[in-house]
Amino acid sequence: MNAFSNTIVAADRARPAMAGGDPDIVISADGLVKTFNGEVIALDRATFDIRRGSFVSLVGPSGCGKSTLLRLVAGLIAKTGGELSVLGHGVSGPSSDVAMMFQRPTLLDWRTAVENVLLPTEVKRSATNADRRRAIDLLNLVGLKDFAFSFPRQLSGGMQQRVALARLLQTGANILLLDEPFGALDEFTRERLNLELMRIVEDVDATVLFVTHNIAEAIFLADQVMVMTPRPGRLARIVDVPFERPRGVELMQTPEFNGLVGEVRSILGGH
Amino acid sequence: MSLAANEHFAGSPQAGSARALVIGRIARHLALFLSIIAVWELASATQFVDPLILPRPSAIIVALYGMLFVQGNAWYHMGITLWEALAGFVIGSVVGIALAVAAGLSETFRRYISPYVIVLQVIPRIALAPMIIAWLGFGTSPKIAIGALICFFPPFINTLTGLVNTDEDASEMFRSLGASKRQIFFSLMLPNAMPIIMAGLKAAISLALIGAIVGEFISAGEGMGVLMQRYSFALNMAASFAVLVMLTAVGYLLFVAMEEVDEYLVYWRSDARMAAMSRRCAKAWRAD
Repeated sequence: MNAFSNTIVAADRARPAMAGGDPDIVISADGLVKTFNGEVIALDRATFDIRRGSFVSLVGPSGCGKSTLLRLVAGLIAKTGGELSVLGHGVSGPSSDVAMMFQRPTLLDWRTAVENVLLPTEVKRSATNADRRRAIDLLNLVGLKDFAFSFPRQLSGGMQQRVALARLLQTGANILLLDEPFGALDEFTRERLNLELMRIVEDVDATVLFVTHNIAEAIFLADQVMVMTPRPGRLARIVDVPFERPRGVELMQTPEFNGLVGEVRSILGGH
Repeated sequence: MSLAANEHFAGSPQAGSARALVIGRIARHLALFLSIIAVWELASATQFVDPLILPRPSAIIVALYGMLFVQGNAWYHMGITLWEALAGFVIGSVVGIALAVAAGLSETFRRYISPYVIVLQVIPRIALAPMIIAWLGFGTSPKIAIGALICFFPPFINTLTGLVNTDEDASEMFRSLGASKRQIFFSLMLPNAMPIIMAGLKAAISLALIGAIVGEFISAGEGMGVLMQRYSFALNMAASFAVLVMLTAVGYLLFVAMEEVDEYLVYWRSDARMAAMSRRCAKAWRAD
């Protein structure tokens, strides 16, 4: 598959000539390139648009440039070539519209859960009582009502990742970048957290870019799946996921779902 | 934590046997210790071992009592040595940590100072002691300088290691929140390095005491090192051992004090302290 023939958001919708002109497009990349040390191509000419409020999965094997793409959008690394804009503006650094969550919880061991959640606020200004109430509310939302004053070392891996999710939401950003957020957790915990994640991002009406190497997970969560292939990192195709929301785990047993899993697998297998 | 557990067991039927176990263990340790002292006392009293090599423990206790409570001269010398050790520790640690912070924040600075630091580490620094005394004279300041020089390294290398090993994901998380370098340093790098910095300080405090005593050996009119030298040269071995016991006590107290500071500052490494801080945090939040 050629990377250039698959630059569509949806099969039936024409790509707008100017991404910045469409207020519905929150992230837009055109021929986006990232090389490291001038030779290693981490991301090769990716072109895509992401619509407001959509949940987009990035799936592919290790080294396909998923994390690179996410870090470019987060403004943590600079692009080498092409165009990348978020909310119509070129990306030049971290922005308060974009927040990121990592595979590891990256909590501060010396802060209680609620103090960790409050961190994004405290980086910007001193926290008010309203900020504190919001932090407590967010911990309730992720199911940690009784653990607000526990330290990370007193929490399980799944609970730590819930704290990280609450901290992500505390930023108030409406573009959420999640880099294999539950990848280090066991299967059962991951499935439960995925379901909660879907519920929560629908609540807060965010646009989500979700990196995973699990094809079923990518499809189950997303409106679109960006399939990426390695060496060099390339956006091979964007697949639409037609299933209605809300979705339950039983969806994963349907032939339609498994058909789509097979389709994505064959795109990945062809490389 | 252990206290709470003991209280919990106090009312239960196992309480008696649990306490008996603890008492039994203490008794066995005490019995061993007392047997060693008794054998030593006997060996020395019967001249089986020359009392000039190993004086009788009872003679050591008498000497100790005399120095502390009859002549009372030991307190003054202990104070001098303690002051030299503490001052050396503070100066060595502050300089070590400050240099490490500079090296941790600037790779260029790190590159430039690393050869000097390595040279300073491989020099047997004790060998500098006579030179330092030649430079600084005979007061307490050369002993402080020797202590500082000897104890500088562990805080330096530990601080640098702690700062350089900052979790890459965590600092990316801070940057994604738009945090400044200053915020990343004070809110992430420094607290993250605290446990290992404290380990360096614990090593440093023992080294500072060694530095002070070595300085006193070379030239001094007062301090525990002087007492040790004076009594040993006079072959008053009981008094020498008494000085050794006092120095051990000083060293132990300094170490325990650092352990306490460690547990206070690095509260997130101790279950009991975390529980206490949790309660305090909860109380402060509910007050709002």
